[in-house]
Amino acid sequence: MIKFQQVSKTYPGGQQALRKVDFHIEPGEMAFLTGHSGAGKSTLLKLISLMERPTVGQVLINGHDLNEISRRQIAYIRRDIGMIFQSHQLLMDKSVFDNVALPLIIEGYSHKETSKRVHAALEMVGLRDKVKNLPIMLSGGEQQRVGIARAVVNKPPLLLADEPTGNLDPKLSMEIIRLFEDFNQAGVSVFIATHDLGLIARMKYRTLTLKSGQMITDGLSQDF
Amino acid sequence: MSLLFKGRAQGAKLSQISIVQRIQMFFLSHLRQSLGSLGEMWRAGAASLMTIGVLGLSITLPSTLYILVKNVEQVSAGWDQASEISLFLKSETSKQHIDQLLTRINAWPEVGKVTYIPADDALDEFKALSGFGDAIAYLDKNPLPPVVLVSPTEQHSGPTAARMLLEKLQKEREVDIGKLDVEWLKRLDAMLTVAKELVTIIALLLFLAVVLIIGNTIRLNILSKKDEILVMKLVGATDAFIQRPFMYTGFWYGLLGGLLAWFTVICLLWWMSASVTAVSELYQKQFNLTGVDFSTLLIMLSTSVLLGLTGSIISVKRHVSAIEPK
Repeated sequence: MIKFQQVSKTYPGGQQALRKVDFHIEPGEMAFLTGHSGAGKSTLLKLISLMERPTVGQVLINGHDLNEISRRQIAYIRRDIGMIFQSHQLLMDKSVFDNVALPLIIEGYSHKETSKRVHAALEMVGLRDKVKNLPIMLSGGEQQRVGIARAVVNKPPLLLADEPTGNLDPKLSMEIIRLFEDFNQAGVSVFIATHDLGLIARMKYRTLTLKSGQMITDGLSQDF
Repeated sequence: MSLLFKGRAQGAKLSQISIVQRIQMFFLSHLRQSLGSLGEMWRAGAASLMTIGVLGLSITLPSTLYILVKNVEQVSAGWDQASEISLFLKSETSKQHIDQLLTRINAWPEVGKVTYIPADDALDEFKALSGFGDAIAYLDKNPLPPVVLVSPTEQHSGPTAARMLLEKLQKEREVDIGKLDVEWLKRLDAMLTVAKELVTIIALLLFLAVVLIIGNTIRLNILSKKDEILVMKLVGATDAFIQRPFMYTGFWYGLLGGLLAWFTVICLLWWMSASVTAVSELYQKQFNLTGVDFSTLLIMLSTSVLLGLTGSIISVKRHVSAIEPK
């Protein structure tokens, strides 16, 4: 599903964020990406979501080389990737419904279909009763779940999460991870970047570890 | 349309949306975005009003000038005696020849009206008007020649046409000299040309200003919505989709500004009509100020909409693509 081939990324300032990273996440797999702050986690995710381009090497999604994707096509690529952010990236002046509906409106779904899917997505994350609320009235965990609902509302085959549990306590974090597990059960590939090692340690998932831009371990979380 | 997952396009989209529905959704989405832009302008209140005001007044000035020039043109076209030609006949011409001449000239298609002033009448008139009455009495013979006044028809009263008629008249055997007071007509014509050019220049400058103002307003709009644009880009919105509401904002600014200009022009013309009537009465002329007709209104509105759109397009092309999630 996601394949990195000898990917290096050097920022214009000369800072080398990734060095010859190689890995492959299979379709339907759920994996974690970990490492200290500044190890290159965010850069790696940005290469997948086309916010950055690799300096050297290839990033492939479902066999398609992202280097061949033009600037105009980026928007369409992002519709296939559900993205979840630590800072939620919600529109604070729009209702929960409008936030979750955004990807569907962009894709031009009918009002009826949009409404149906938004309610289904909010049902999945357990926020059905908050449809009309503004995000600002919700707790941190609830806001994150709105973000997840928005990421899955158009049923993307791939979910990317950047520190989805960053601001949450362990219990809420676990709930969020359980949600990702549910989606993974439904066949969605899930790739989560987190520095919360405690969280990973409680689960048996493949974990990729970055250190100073290099992939140092790749295996089940039990192994270390 | 999924680029990465071939099967997905069918699964996620086509099964729910037929072509007809998609076209329907396209227009619905446009309608929604255009109304959304209007709503946002409404909520911005005073700021939007000021922008519309600037736009409206910027279009009012050239429009008013244009209408005034058009009116002056109409007035000058109405002055047919403007190109009245005076023909001074040779003094020795007999009455018979003069009558023949008058009949001949009258038959020309260019000639509208012919008036004959015999030498004696001319002398009487001169005596009465000049105040040299007594001195003239000492003259042993009438020094004034008989005069024929020729007014061209309306199509031939322009400076060039009138001059051509004069030349033709001068070739007549009985005519000594012909005079056409065409100079002031030429001057008026030249001044009208200058005025028209001035209106064009003022209009172009103001239009440029309008484009810049709208462009800047939209730029500020875009910057104030930077966060929203970032989020939209993250979830897969194309630049075109993000740009559309801003372009609609430009469209609305243009339309509302144009309507304001139209309204202002009507007010101005109404205000000026009294003084214009006073002037035209002095010239003993029946004259009504022509206002904004439907085609002028259409031109005004489409110009201002075009300006609004241009400003917004310049702005979105520059600024929307510059905002990228990092």
